[in-house]
This record gives sequence, C-alpha cells and structure tokens, in this order.
Amino acid sequence: MAEQAPARMNASFNLESEGGISPSISTLKPLKLMKNNLRRQLIMLSKRLIYAFLIQLFFCSVILANTGNAQLKNIQEVKISMNLQEKSLAQFFKQVESKTDFKFTYTDNLIDLKQAVTVGENDKSLYDVLVAVSMQTNLRFVQVNENIHVKLVTGNKGNSVEVMELQEVTVSGKVIDEGGEPLPGATITVSGTTTGTVTDIEGNYSITVQEGSVLVFSFIGYEPIRVPVDNRSQIDVTLMEDVSSLDEVVVIGYGTVQKSDLTGSVAVVKGEDINSFPSNNVIQALSGRATGVQVLQNNGSPGGNVSVRIRGTNSVQGSNEPLYVVDGFPLSGNPTQLLNNGDIESMQILKDASATAIYGSRGANGVVIITTKRGKSGATKVDVETSYSIQTITKKLDLMNAYEYATLYNEGAVNDGVSPRFTDAQIQSFGKEGTDWQDLIFRKAPMSNTSVNISGGNEKTQFSLSGSVFKQDGIIIGSDYNRYSMRTNLNHDISSKLSVSLSSTLTNIQSNRMNSGGGSRGTELISGILSSPPILKPYTDDGTYTVLGVSPYPFIATVMVNPLNYIYEQTNVLKSNTILTNVAVSYKPVKDLTIKIAGGIENLDERIDRFTTTKFLNSRGIANVRTTQFKSLLSENTVSYNKSFGKHRIDALAGLTYQNFIQTSLEGSGSGFINDISQTYELQAANTLGIPLSSYVQSTLISYLGRLNYSYNDKYLATVSSRYDGASKYSEGNKWGYFPSAALAWKVSEEDFFKNISGISDLKLRAGWGFTGSQAIDAYATLNQLNSSKTVFNDALYTAYAPGTRLPGDLKWETTESMDIGVDIGLLENRLTLTVDYYNKITRDLLNLVQLPSSMGFLTTIQNVGKIQNRGFEIGVDAYILNGDFTWDVNANISFNKNEVLKLYNGQDILGGRVGVTAVNDNVNILREGRPIGQFYGYVEDGYTVEGKIKYRDLNKDGAITNADKTYIGDPNPDFIYGLNSSMTYKNFSFTFFIQGVQGNDIYNVSSINSTLDYGLGLNMPRDVYLNHWTPTNATNAKYPKFAEKSVTLASDRFVENGSFMRLKNIQLAYNVDVKKLGVSLIRNIQLYVSGQNLLTVTKYSWWDPEVNSRGGSNSMDQGFDVTSYPNYKSVTLGIRAGF
Amino acid sequence: MKNNNNKSYYFANHFVKSWNAIITVFVLMIILGSCENVLIEEPKSLSAETFYNTAEEVEGGVNAIYLPYQSSFSLADYISIKESFSDYLVGRNTFFNNFQGLSTTNMNRTTGMWNLFYLSIRNANLVIKYAPQGKNISQADIDKYVGEAKFMRAFSYFQLVKNWDGVPLRVETNMLDVDLKRSTAQETYDLIIADLLYAEAKLPETAALSGRPSKYAAKTLLADVYLQTGNYAGSRDKAGDVISSNKYALVPVKTVDDFQKIFGPDVVTTLEEIFYTKGTRQSGLGTPFVMHVNHSNTRFHGAGGWFILYSWSTIPYYTGWDDDDKRKELWYDINMGLVGKTMMNKKFIDPLAPSNSGAGNDIPWYRYADVLMMYAEAEARIGGLTAEAMETLNQVHRRGYGYDTKTSSPVDFKLADYNASSFLDLVVKEYGYEFQLEGKRWSQLKRTGKAAEIILAMKGTAIAQKHYLWPIPISEMNFNKAIDPVKDQNPGY
Repeated sequence: MAEQAPARMNASFNLESEGGISPSISTLKPLKLMKNNLRRQLIMLSKRLIYAFLIQLFFCSVILANTGNAQLKNIQEVKISMNLQEKSLAQFFKQVESKTDFKFTYTDNLIDLKQAVTVGENDKSLYDVLVAVSMQTNLRFVQVNENIHVKLVTGNKGNSVEVMELQEVTVSGKVIDEGGEPLPGATITVSGTTTGTVTDIEGNYSITVQEGSVLVFSFIGYEPIRVPVDNRSQIDVTLMEDVSSLDEVVVIGYGTVQKSDLTGSVAVVKGEDINSFPSNNVIQALSGRATGVQVLQNNGSPGGNVSVRIRGTNSVQGSNEPLYVVDGFPLSGNPTQLLNNGDIESMQILKDASATAIYGSRGANGVVIITTKRGKSGATKVDVETSYSIQTITKKLDLMNAYEYATLYNEGAVNDGVSPRFTDAQIQSFGKEGTDWQDLIFRKAPMSNTSVNISGGNEKTQFSLSGSVFKQDGIIIGSDYNRYSMRTNLNHDISSKLSVSLSSTLTNIQSNRMNSGGGSRGTELISGILSSPPILKPYTDDGTYTVLGVSPYPFIATVMVNPLNYIYEQTNVLKSNTILTNVAVSYKPVKDLTIKIAGGIENLDERIDRFTTTKFLNSRGIANVRTTQFKSLLSENTVSYNKSFGKHRIDALAGLTYQNFIQTSLEGSGSGFINDISQTYELQAANTLGIPLSSYVQSTLISYLGRLNYSYNDKYLATVSSRYDGASKYSEGNKWGYFPSAALAWKVSEEDFFKNISGISDLKLRAGWGFTGSQAIDAYATLNQLNSSKTVFNDALYTAYAPGTRLPGDLKWETTESMDIGVDIGLLENRLTLTVDYYNKITRDLLNLVQLPSSMGFLTTIQNVGKIQNRGFEIGVDAYILNGDFTWDVNANISFNKNEVLKLYNGQDILGGRVGVTAVNDNVNILREGRPIGQFYGYVEDGYTVEGKIKYRDLNKDGAITNADKTYIGDPNPDFIYGLNSSMTYKNFSFTFFIQGVQGNDIYNVSSINSTLDYGLGLNMPRDVYLNHWTPTNATNAKYPKFAEKSVTLASDRFVENGSFMRLKNIQLAYNVDVKKLGVSLIRNIQLYVSGQNLLTVTKYSWWDPEVNSRGGSNSMDQGFDVTSYPNYKSVTLGIRAGF
Repeated sequence: MKNNNNKSYYFANHFVKSWNAIITVFVLMIILGSCENVLIEEPKSLSAETFYNTAEEVEGGVNAIYLPYQSSFSLADYISIKESFSDYLVGRNTFFNNFQGLSTTNMNRTTGMWNLFYLSIRNANLVIKYAPQGKNISQADIDKYVGEAKFMRAFSYFQLVKNWDGVPLRVETNMLDVDLKRSTAQETYDLIIADLLYAEAKLPETAALSGRPSKYAAKTLLADVYLQTGNYAGSRDKAGDVISSNKYALVPVKTVDDFQKIFGPDVVTTLEEIFYTKGTRQSGLGTPFVMHVNHSNTRFHGAGGWFILYSWSTIPYYTGWDDDDKRKELWYDINMGLVGKTMMNKKFIDPLAPSNSGAGNDIPWYRYADVLMMYAEAEARIGGLTAEAMETLNQVHRRGYGYDTKTSSPVDFKLADYNASSFLDLVVKEYGYEFQLEGKRWSQLKRTGKAAEIILAMKGTAIAQKHYLWPIPISEMNFNKAIDPVKDQNPGY
C-alpha cells in the first residue's frame, strides 16, 4: 500500500516511517500548493490567513452539505464532462477535483504538473478520461476510495488505471512503552477519520478498519506513531517517550494536559531556551520567550531583582508578580534564589483565568509553573555543561573630560558673577582627560556556570541528581553573586497502585553587593561615578581617598563621596540557604483514579551583613547584621479521575490544600569601632550599640479546589474550575473568596468538513472566562496594630507605642474577572503554528490606597474601591521553515497590552513616583481614572527665556507655574513587547540568535536630573551638556539651559525619554562534535559553542541602558524609573555541553 | 463501535469501586477544612483596642507624641527654612529664600512639617481619648498624662498657627472625621490656651525627665502664646511665675567654647532648660538639624555636614555687632566657593556624631533666656519701659559677654538711654544675637511687625505678602472636602 499517501497531511505525517514513499516533507505537497517555494507560501498564507480561513470555512460547509451523505462511487460510475485543449496537468486535476469528490495525490517532484494534456470528452466516465490522460502522459492512476493516486509508469506497461476496493479488517495488538510496560489508555485512531479506540489496562486493543487505513497510536507524553494496516490483523506498537516536543504535555495547576487539549491560554518555554545563555536567574531567562510576559530587570547587578508582569498590571496596592509554582509547590516569592537554570525542564505560563482560577486568590497576576528535570528509566545519563563568560558594561556614558569640565565651570562662574573656578595654569595641570571614574569602577568581569546532571533509573525507580555552581562577578568592582545548588528528584513505584516522589533543592547564595543606587550629587556609589569631577585624582599623595568636596575647589558639593569609598570601604554581603522539598504519595486504588497526598517545605535562612569601615569618608565604622527566617509549610491533598469512554473523556480533580507562612527576623547594629578587623562579627565592640529589632509575621491559606475537563469526540473541550480560598490576612467575615472559571474549546480541524482543507492542518478556537484573586495586603493589615519604637528623654531611650500612618479598615478580596478568546492554528502540517489571543481583564474591589487629609495624622487607608482594566492581543508564531540538511526554526511572539485605571476612590488621584534628588523634589507619576498605571506627570518645557533659563508652559494660563500646570508627560507601559528566536542548523553547526524588544514605553531618567541640570556644585556631566548648553550664540538649538547655578528645575518632560529598544539578547554558534567519528562509545554528545549576550541594542535612550527599572518590585506605581542604578552588562561566552 | 461499548461498561464498573475512595477523601477534607480558627490572626505585637489600660501603657502612648519630633529631618527643615527667613542667615541652594513665597521644593518641605505636627497631635489625641478609659490607672496618673498630651497638642498647634494661620482643629472627639473645616486663628489659639491652662494645672512642678514638660514649661509656652496674641499682661505674669520660681538660671559663659555647656552634644540637661526636644548620640535618635549647620571641612560633625545655613561677614547684622560679645565668636569663616567672605556658626556641633541623624544635641524650644526676653518685652509693652524689663534683658545680654548675669556689668544697657519704643527695638536686636540658629527669629520678626523693615535693611529684599504664611498642603486640600482649595488656601498659593 505504498501508494497510500494521504491527501491531507497530518501533523504527524513525517513520523510515518513504515510507509513506502519518501517521508521527507519537503518533497510532498498537497495539490493546492503548487510551488516549491514554501517560504513564500508561508508569507502569503500568514497575510491572508483570516480571510482564507473564513472563506474556506464557508465553502467547506457547502461542500459538506452537498456531498456529505453521498455514497462513495467508483471512477467507472462517475460521469464527467470537460474540455481542455493543451492545458497543464495541474489544471486537469483541478477541474476533476472541482467536478467530483475525488482528490489526486502524488509526490510532486516526480510528476511534471506543467505537461500539457488535452481532454475533450463529454459525459464519459472518469475512468475513461483517466485512461486517455494516462496515454498522453505516461502516468498511472490508482483509485483508492476517494483518492486517486498518481504515479509514473515504471517497468512494463500494465493497466494504467486501476481501482482498488477496500475491505474491512479487524486489527488487534498491544501497545507498550520503551521499557516493555503496557500502556493502558493509549489512543488508536484511524487516520483521517474520527474512528478510534483506546487500549485496556494490559495495553491491548482491537479495532475494525478499512483495509489500507493508517492507524495512529498516541499517548500523552509519547511520540505518536502512524502505522499502515496493510493486510495485517495483528499490530503491536512500542511508543517512544516524546523527547523532541516536550510541549506536547503541558503542566497546568495540579495536573497535566495535552497541549492540543488546552482550553486556556498557556505559554510554554522550554528548558533549553531558559538555559540557552548564561543569565543569573530563571526569570531573566524568561524575557522575550512568551507572549504576554514582560520581564523587567531592575538593574544590571549580579543577583539583582527582576519583576514580571503577565498581561499588565492589575493591582495598585498589592503585588503584581505572578505566582511561581515549582514542581507543585507554590512559592512565597520568586525562584531567583532557588533554581539553577539548567535544572529547568520547562516553564509554563498560565495567563488567563480559566488556567489560573485553580490558584484562586493567587492567580490574578498569572501563574508560572516550573518543572524541573526528572529521571527516565533506561541507561544512566550524565550531562555536564560549563560555560565561561566575560562581561562588560553595555555602554559607557560619554562624560566630560577634565578640560571640558574646567572650561564649563569657568563659564558657569562668569554666569554666576563669581571669579573663575580655575586658572589657565590649573586647567593645564589637569591634563586633557583627567580621571575617568567609570574606568576606575567598571571592569571586565568573568561569569562561569557549571552543572552536572545524572539521571536514569529503571521501571520502578527514576532519579535525577544535579549540582551546579554559578559564579558571576559584577561589572562593578567588588560585586559578585555565587550560587551553589543541589537538586534531587526521585520517583519510585512501591506497587502498581502506590508510588512516591520527591523533589528537593538546596541552594546556597553568597553575594557581595554594590547596589548603592539612588542618591543625588554623588551621595551614593552610582551617582558618585557620574558626578565625580574628572579634575580630581582618586587618591591623595598619601594614598587615602581624595575627599572631593574640599579645598582647593570649595564650590564642589561636599556631599559628594569619592565612589571608591563604596567600592573598597563598604560591604553588603548576602548569604542565604534556601530549601524547597516536596514529597508526594500517589495511590491509585483503581484504574483512572489517583489520590495524591503531598507535603512540602520552603525554608529560607538569610543573613545580610553590612559594614562601613572607619576609612570610609566621615565614618567611625558602622556594622549591621540582619537575619531572616522564612518558612512555608504546604499540605496538598488531591483526588483526580481521568477516564475515556466512547467519545467522552473526563479529567476531574478535587483537592484541599493548606499552606502557612511564618517569617521572623532579627537585626542588630553598632557604630563606632576602633578598627576594621571585627567587621560585622563583633557588634558588641561598637561604641554605640544600635537598637536590636525583631519581628514576627504569620499567615495561613486554606483552599478547596476542583476542576472538570470534559472532551467530546476530541473536538469539543470544556473546562470548569474553581477554588475557594480562606486567608487569614482579611478581616473577619471577609476571609473567604470564591474563584470560578469556565472555558470552551473547539478543535475545528477535527471536524469532517475541515478535512478537505489543505494548508490549515490544525485549528482550535478557545474561549474562557473566570475570576481570580490577588492577596494584595500584608498580614495584619486589617488590625489596629501599635508599633513600638524609641524616643529620648534625658539622654536615654524610652519606649513609645503608636499606630502607623495607615488607618486600618475592613478589607475583602481583590478580584480580577478576565475573558480570553484564542485561536490556535497549524498550517502546512503544523510547520507554521500560530496562537492568537485576545483578553480583557477587569480587576474589581481594587484595594486602593485612599489618601486621607494629613491633618488626621493618618496619611492613608485602604479600601476596596477601584477598578483597573488590562486588555490586549498576543500573537505567537512557531515556524519550522526548513528541514533536511539545513534546518531553520523561528519562534516569534508579540504582545500588546493596554492598561487603564477605570475607577478610584471618589475619583481621587493618587500621587506617586516621588523624586527627591535635591534639585527636584516632586511627585512625577499619577494614578488617575482614564489613565494607565504609572502615568508620568509633570511640567512641559517651552524652550528658554532670553536669559537662557528653562521656560515651563503655563497650561492653565494663570500667569504662574504651579501644580496645576502639570500634565501627562509619558507612559512607562509599552505599546508592545516582542521576542524572536531563530535557530538554524547545518550539519554539525547550529546558529541561533534571539532578539527581544520593547516598544513605545517611556523611561523617567531621574539619573539625568542632577547630571544634566544641577549646575554650580561641581558635578561632572555628560559631554553633551558641555557641547549643547544655552549660550547667547547657541540659544535656539540648545538642549540644556544656561550654565548658571541659580536656575529653577522642575520635574518636566525633559527627563522622560523614549525607552523602546530592540536587543540582540543572544547570538550563538555551536558545533556538535561527531562523537561517532571519535569512536568513543562512552560519550553521547559534545557541543561546543560561543555566544554573545546583549551585544547589540537599538535604542534612543540616552543613559547607560534601557533595560532598567530602578524602583521595580511587586508594587506597580513606580515603573520605568532610572535612578542611578547598577548598569547592565553585555557578555561573550564560551561553553561546552557534553552527555555521557 | 463494539469496542467502545465494552469500554463504557468497564468504566462504570470501576467507577462504583472508586466512589468509596472519593468519599473517604472528601470526608477527610471537610474535617481538615473545618479548622477555620487557623485563619484568625494572632500577631505578636500590641493592638490599639487593648492598650492604654495601665500607667505604663499610657506612658508608652504619651512617649509616642514626641516621636514625630524625634530625630526628624522634617524638623531640621522646619528650623532651617525659618532660619533662612531670618535677617542673619542664608539658605543654600534649594533652601535659597527669595522672600517671594516658597519654592516648589520648600513647599514640599512644609508639607512634611505639617504632617509632623499633625502626627504628634494624633498621638496626643489618642492619649487624651483613651487614658481616662483605662481600666487600671489612677486618676492622678490620668491627669498627669492627659496634661502632658495637652501640652504637646498645644505646642504643635502653636507651630501650625504661627506658620499657616488657622488650621483644622483635630481633637480627641473628631480625630477620625475625614472632612474637617479650617478653623480661624482665634479658634486655634483658644484651643491652645485651654490645653495649656489644663496642662499648667495638672503637670508636675518638676518634670520627671528632661524632655517632658513641667508646670513651668506650660507657663512658658503660655507666656509665648499670650505674647503672640497680644495678651501682654498674661504673658508677663506667666513669664514672671517662671522667673520667681527660682528653678531656672542662665548657664554662665566665659569663652565661646562654654556655649557647648548649653548646646553641646554631651549636655544632658541644664538649669537653663525649660522645654527641649532631646537627642542622643545614636543613629536615628539624634538631632539631624546639626547636619544642616556644619561643613565637612571643619569636622564639627562626625558625618560631615550639609552647610545649608551660612552667612556673609559683610552683612550689617555682623559688622554692627560688638566684637566683645562671645556669641559673635560662634561665627567662623569658611570658603564655600562663593563671592565674598562666607561664615558659618558653631553653636550646634557634634564631632562624634555617628551619622547624619546621630548628633547628640537637643533642640532648645524654650530655655530660660526665652523667658527673660518674653518678660522684658511684655513688661515694656504693658506700661512702658520699666527697670524690671531692662534688668531681665540685661541678664541675657550680660551672659552673652561672659559676665555674671545677676550683677550689673560694663555692657549693661542703661534704663535712661531708652524709651518704650527704642527698648522694643533693642529687644528685637538682642533676640537676633541670642537665638541665632534656634529657628525662632522669623516668628519674632513677624510678630513684632519688624520683618519687612529688617529684612530690607539686612538682605536688601522686599518681602512679598504671601511669604508670611505657608500654603496648606495639597495632601490636605485634595482629601479634606471641608476645605475649599481656592477659598481656604493661604493667599498667594
């Protein structure tokens, strides 16, 4: 039955290995696509996708209506009239297909479709027509049911047209896995039909099919296999575990689902992408990989914080970070201090309510489910990888050199009416360049990552053990981040009914931090790098640090601290141990039913030691030690029931979970030390002991959860889920929240009428709706707590008790209602798959900071008022453009989100984004109805006065520049974010690049306020200020005002910059060593690679790097600020990956 | 589909078996879930509802009234802004004062001060409201603590009314009303005086600890309030009570360094102290203002110095000052890179301060010199210049020169040389020398109506009318619906 090529190609077609025809996909084309130029077709198709889809859907239905019930006829019985004179064979096929129900199938590089044929027969049978064509073309036609297969005549000429009728045969057999174990519940379907069955508990099946059919065997987590029946009545099949496409099975909350059966919006990022280049944490590696996921890097420091926003910002008051679930354990925070990137098997991002409602009160910001690598039965595998990178700052700022500095400040002195700051002789003595403070502080820094994973097992026990060391030195001298991580995953079947599993990680972090951001006029490290005068040397002649703000240049701000103080005389060391352990016992009393009892512990012990030596400017030594102990205990009890019967399939889940969180802390400090030897390790040696601080916070969450997935005929899918959460954080009577969701999906491509459509191989429509919550408040927020602190009488301390400045009130849950409509489309045998989603989320009962008149003594209270909306589009594309010797895969994603505050308490604005850099002291963003969260708010500039001072626009025309003249000056929320990953292989080489970008967002460049406008205090500035400031001769095009001290600077649009960027996040060339040629049987594979990170960035942003979010964190109000933060790095990496 | 029918049967069969297991698990869940009491919050800290029952607890609440003043940068700003309004000091940079109203930055600073005073008022109101309801506290203790709270409430309202005029009056009965109208200055003073009379009656003769008010602190504050409101007899009497109590004296000075025995970081208390905000040499518990008046070059402050307040040696205030006055020697020359000879003042220094919030100095709100000066002025305003008025002024003057305060000295002002009017000018002048850097000068210049004249003479600047009052903060205007943002705002803002 070699001729049995299907007219409609299936996703799994290229897996057909037992068919006689060439399996290479590039050589086979459906009739409607006549050109070889697949790429062009891809473009064409994507352009007209929706059109074509709708039109085809319409016509298909018509065809279906006409022919659906028609009996299959023999070509001898079908009469046809046609008149073709010297037309191409292709046109002949087309006419026959349009006039009859038959389809031609052929291998297109064998058949010349352009050859001319002449057919002028009226009312002849199709058989006769084909005979006539056969004689003109040397082609042979074989009718197999509704298909007419076209072949070249080879060898002796026999009957050129033949009809084969197919008999029904009964086939039975057994489906087993690699280890020989039977696979119960495996699905067997007849290709191209909806007929099918499943295997029983012993893996046996029996099915009656037409002779010549092709059976498709599939099972979740295994590669489907297509087997032509031929004449056999017994077909035994071994299914191989699906390693090539892990995304076949998607991990969702409390279970898994086949990707094709998803009803919600879930993005999957593979472990290999997470681990494709060195980055200091898992979340950073997520950036640009999935639609709807925005990763905001706070700064470039090693171990620095990152924030994630999934489909926008929902909450004003609470966290907007997603819930992270690692191997089933919902973490209290994020996994940056826990996981080694190499341990990740996959990450699934649950985005819409139908996917996240199962996490109830923690689902509103999306859920990131992280699955770590587990062992598989079979030979023990050892995977080793190591990489070494060199990092440098992405860009140095072009600051003034000594000559320019001195010249500019002399000009300023003239403008201020004071005598020149520097004599010509002094300027001469500085040299042209002077001190480049950036060079003194930034360095080339190494980063290395080594991990070993050993995995294996037998059919009863599987294990995966890994150890890793990640060491990153920061590009600022003295900063580093070291992570040592050990991970164990075990699965063991005690009996066929009882199994246990363990996931356990121990991670140790040791990090020296140089994150002293913020400040103004050089009062902290980063602003010191920017502001330190190039005319001053870093050290005095006696080797001590130059004190910048003293004679002989008293105009230089004395607050400015020589930044070397921070580098060499101040330490901030983080040490932590994090343990995450999760044990589960699964019991299957009967087939299809699983009872799972799981318990877990997340435990964090952290100690931060901060020390300022006695050599630090104006310091007598300050030591501070803070320890934090965090513990979360989890108990999860679930019952799941999965069953297929007939065309129905049910996956049901019910559960009860309990989780509690306890955090305690202890802090001690002291100041005044006689030397720097004891550092933070002998606080009792301090002259003045600080007041010890300790704290305790406890909260509990109890939940009932349930979910029902139902699918009918594998075409119609429905999911209903809900969670009932009780949280201790809320007030009495408001502790419980209910979060339901529902979703429907329709696999349109499984419908009969769709079978005739080539090109579109897969089409699924999804719609979901639901409620999720956010635990937007801290524990005890509804209680009238008194804080204790110290006040002074005589010269001694006395305890005082007072409430805070937030007035507590009764609070209930913040709920987000969301709707998602999505379509998953597979084109050209799923070589191009497209996922498009539209969503609309409205967060209600928004926990809203209500400002109180400050005369109350309480500044704010929280109330459940307010509404925020996020809506947007997401498009994800996976394309397998080329395969064969040269393969080329492309994944691209783009996400649009629009955020709007719909309602606030009494329409009250909430001012935020306080900038206090001495020169400017103001609120620069506003929360206002009708505007997005984070809206930048300030004055608008209007050129310069005749004296060269900045002119601000008097918007309300009252003749004065007041608060009322502030307006919307920028938006930190991007219009869209995108990522593009391209991966090519040729023979042993592979070349990948990954581009990531953000478009349409603004950055509030607080760093530039002091650096470009705070004149007269001796701060160094960008060269641009020197070249482009206002002078009487350069009045019209000046970027900066007149260089004079007493100028008023307001928080204006000047500081709001376009933050869009497109970044070549990673580019890599890898070589896979031909291990077989080496003849070393021990080695499975070796890959060597060289790669570069952040090597190219296209941006208009003027400062160090557009990937900055200095005030980032779980709170959303202050997004898009650049406040003298640790800058970002670029790197070049050499690495090796080997398997044994 | 025969196969599938078989499957359905198989399913049904097993379904019944599994039902038992499902039920068991659900029963388990319900039992577990019924333990809802785990959702009750039990923090390991105190809650307001169960506090203020014993004398110790109420005292803890009273102590909180002082917290907003304690180690407060806003308080440092308060003093510095007012000193930059004086005739003898200049505020550097964003404290720069052009007498045309407040700059945006300084406007934001005054918001911080408003918040500070009202936070203290709230904490006082909590004590005034809850202490009488205490279950385990004596009436004597209630009186004492409520008296202390009322003193502090009056103190804060006095700062508010002097700088903002009439303000919303938050007392124990309306403290949680969000919308509260702006009272008149008269109403504000009425509350202040009522509170102080209560405090005067209930407070102890001698405060248990320096930093807490005594009966005489209440009298001193009353004297100041009466002086402010033109009740000169009241002021003279209350100041007279303090003087005649013989509990206080000026600390003698021989050299300029002796001023450190009054203002220095190591001083715990002195005979001169009547009511101070106390600081101790510990980070977060000292007096941040000291950072404002020092320069890192001098090492007078352990953490450097921000030299916010400085002066010029060319101004008439300084050039017209007798060189023998020890107080003049507090000024020293320092090159700040500006044209002319700049100077700073070393009244408040702490070379051993561990951080910018760790200077051990105090904020001397009222010391005995204040009482003497008030007495002198009030007495002279009642019935003309008297010997008592001249003597009290001379006591302050003598100490400034290093003489014994109680015996006449070569530098004494002579009664015969002055009439009532020129004596008042003399009081204003002496006040400027005595209280430099203490944040009192601007209020005095305003109260005596001399501000415009003296500022024009000393700094050559005409004061705009709006400069006399500070704006009601936006945070009050926007969220207190009983205040009209246009009508109720102070003029010019």
